[in-house]
Amino acid sequence: MLSQNIAKELNNIAGKENITTSREDLICYSYDATNQKFLPDAVVFPKSAEEISLILKLANREAFPVIPRGAGSGFSGGSLPVEGGVVVSLERMNKILKIDTDNLVAIVEPGVVTGDFQEEAENMGLFYPPDPSSLKFCTIGGNIAECAGGPRAVKYGVTKDYVLGLEVVLPTGEIINTGVQTAKGVVGYDLTKLIVGSEGTLGIVTKAVLKLLPLPEATKTMFAVFSDMRDAANTVSKIISSKIIPSTLEFMDKESIGCVAGYLPPDLSGSIEAALLIEVDGDKDLIEKEALLIRGICMENSATDVRIAGNRQEAKALWQARRAISPSMAKLKPNKINEDIVVPRSKIPDAIMGTRDIAKKYNIIIANFGHAGDGNIHVNVMIDKSNSGEFERGKTAVEEIFRLVLSLGGTISGEHGIGTAKMPYIGMELSPAAIDVMRRVKQVLDPKGVLNPGKIFPRHRLV
Amino acid sequence: MKTLKQFTDEINKCVLCGTCRGVCPTFDVARREPASARGKVALCDALLKKEINISEGFIKHMTECVQCMACYESCPNDVNVPDIILAARTEIVKENGLPFIKSLTLRNFLDSERLMPAVMKFASNLQGLFFKGVPEESGLHRRFPLPLIDERRLMPPLADTFFLERRALTVEKGRKGEREKGRKILSPIRPFTDSPIRVGFFAGCLINYMLPNIGEASLKLIEKAGASVIVPLDQHCCGMPALGMGDIETAKSLALKNLEAFEQYELDYITTACATCGDGLRRRFKELLGDEYPERVNAFCSKVRDITELLVNELEFEISTSHIPHPTSQLVTYHDPCHLNRGQGIKDAPRELIEISGARFKEMSHPCRCCGLGGSFNITDYDFSMEIARSKAEDIKNTGADIVATACPGCMIQIKDGLHQIGVKAKVLHVVELLV
Repeated sequence: MLSQNIAKELNNIAGKENITTSREDLICYSYDATNQKFLPDAVVFPKSAEEISLILKLANREAFPVIPRGAGSGFSGGSLPVEGGVVVSLERMNKILKIDTDNLVAIVEPGVVTGDFQEEAENMGLFYPPDPSSLKFCTIGGNIAECAGGPRAVKYGVTKDYVLGLEVVLPTGEIINTGVQTAKGVVGYDLTKLIVGSEGTLGIVTKAVLKLLPLPEATKTMFAVFSDMRDAANTVSKIISSKIIPSTLEFMDKESIGCVAGYLPPDLSGSIEAALLIEVDGDKDLIEKEALLIRGICMENSATDVRIAGNRQEAKALWQARRAISPSMAKLKPNKINEDIVVPRSKIPDAIMGTRDIAKKYNIIIANFGHAGDGNIHVNVMIDKSNSGEFERGKTAVEEIFRLVLSLGGTISGEHGIGTAKMPYIGMELSPAAIDVMRRVKQVLDPKGVLNPGKIFPRHRLV
Repeated sequence: MKTLKQFTDEINKCVLCGTCRGVCPTFDVARREPASARGKVALCDALLKKEINISEGFIKHMTECVQCMACYESCPNDVNVPDIILAARTEIVKENGLPFIKSLTLRNFLDSERLMPAVMKFASNLQGLFFKGVPEESGLHRRFPLPLIDERRLMPPLADTFFLERRALTVEKGRKGEREKGRKILSPIRPFTDSPIRVGFFAGCLINYMLPNIGEASLKLIEKAGASVIVPLDQHCCGMPALGMGDIETAKSLALKNLEAFEQYELDYITTACATCGDGLRRRFKELLGDEYPERVNAFCSKVRDITELLVNELEFEISTSHIPHPTSQLVTYHDPCHLNRGQGIKDAPRELIEISGARFKEMSHPCRCCGLGGSFNITDYDFSMEIARSKAEDIKNTGADIVATACPGCMIQIKDGLHQIGVKAKVLHVVELLV
């Protein structure tokens, strides 16, 4: 519970109508897409970096946690108020401040919805590539905090590749600018990259300078199905090694496809064990050629059916299917342990066949889908938490998957972040010395540990 | 109708992913989680787990929903949030009763055979006293403060002669009312023609009291399409306003009266030109009366068609432009009413009618986005409702269209108000009005 005094000071900072402590509102800010709930003590809706600065200074003086929140659509618990405190919702800071067509940069506030920003940019012939599946509702601030990726990462990279500079409120309340508004810049340490992906633990982003690209002339979307999972995995490696970089190269296994069958063409032939969603973009003539080449590679690798979307509508339907997979998985089992491992692209077949063996060993459903083109697979261990045996087997399976991934030269999280969900496993990938450096960085920037406590590092507590 | 508790499994299907935030019109305006579909599911979940009571906050959040069903349509787990919210509203009414003004309107007004037409008639005669006409608009502004009427609101005037009244007059001039089993059956506008296809027309309140021309146009087109049509005069409000406020009892009583009104005739189809009424007649009537009168209600519901669907898909209506008395060469755009598009799955039929009319057509961006009316939401939260209408009005403005066609009188009134408030002069018509 917040003291009366703190509540009063928050009122003074943001205005009475922009702070709430009603139980109904607190419930609505207690969760994210991990489907867990932790009640905050208050929610504030600031309008400026200055207000956020005052909130953080107050938090340092009175020692209460502050948790930044965008759309609450994260998959690792980054915006959960696990230790209570004040949720700083950035929903009101949702303006696109500038799209500069001369210099191909944009300046946006953190609460801008990623998809809305992309639409604006596209209307001006420009392109902001990072496309997490939640793009229609997630926010740029959240994307920056988690360094979100998406299907297009295989060709265009992830959020950090498009952030040129930031305005950030540090945990102690100072407002700083990092990076540049230019194409290059090496003055001092790269604090921009430090903040991107720091999961809201090192600062609250209040403005972002983003890099834009010219909008590709055209895109071509394809869907290939396979009767053997191994063939699909091999096709991914073959496409990459044949030196074509599609703008999307998505893998989905039988379980994943089953969850979204309603969205797919009804007349696909063969027994479907796996499928690939492939897209190429760029010059109109070039992509026609690339599409045919890719179709050839699919057929050589025993695809049973390859469909090339004839129009935007057909392409859109395929994308809807892909984007609906993750949330639809509740159809398999009520709970999922949602991992987003990455392996070197040549190791995709090993990773997929390996998780399959693990599923068999622990008698559990594991559904795999994701951005196979960049080696990033969403491994979903499907369980019923109320079945304690299954829950325990699931957790053991996750550890074994991580060991497999690391042995293949991969990483345990590609784009979701550690948050609370992967906290217990961080030590499997990072050495004690590396974790110690990170803790020291956190200590320097946030000596009292007020900003988003209880995330990333195990046993982190308020000082 | 299912109670909130019976929706427990439906609520548990929600994984809190947030997809609905991208499509929810109330969230789009409020930009706060409790205004989103996800927030409301979380609140209903909390209520069922007794973490909260039916508090003022809970009631407010459950009111802030336009029932547009966009969340349900986009939900990867098919969570029927609109119905969860309706069940919550019913729960609220059960616990707290209806707020005074709403209960007065619903129980004594909509559900009365004589009172509603009488009061509306009285209001129609006196409206000049309370409202002033807006030049160049077929609408009214209030003259002085009136309860529930915002001063900026552009209201369509009440018709001088109501639609059903006109029909009754036609009957008196034509033939005497028949008597059957001691009960007076009000006759159709004219006896069934020789056409083997018999259609019953359901007017609905807005067409009856405010926009009778839509009713007249519908009747003409049905006959032009080769069917005969009757208008049972003892029909009532469809009951959807009551259901939307959680007043199931009134909704049920009205549904039953309407069932009886149409059952008297041997009909192949029952049609309406109001998307909301249509959605109610074909879907909600089943939920309201299905347990008690399964066969009667199934027979009724299976006959219901929207006027656009009836004309295009059932009667295969065709007309050459030269046969349209006042063909338009103007640019037309089309707004998809939520209760037609998502409620009844009809998107193509109205567009085909526009094509038949010979008008030039331009699609607006987001044609399926709700206009923001949301039944009584527009009265209880006028500003909120008009914020949603503003996005719609902007989308219309960007097409440069001279005419916005739609297929729901509720949407028409809201869009007219929305356009007026941003100073756009486009005309708002029902699709059927383009063809007569």
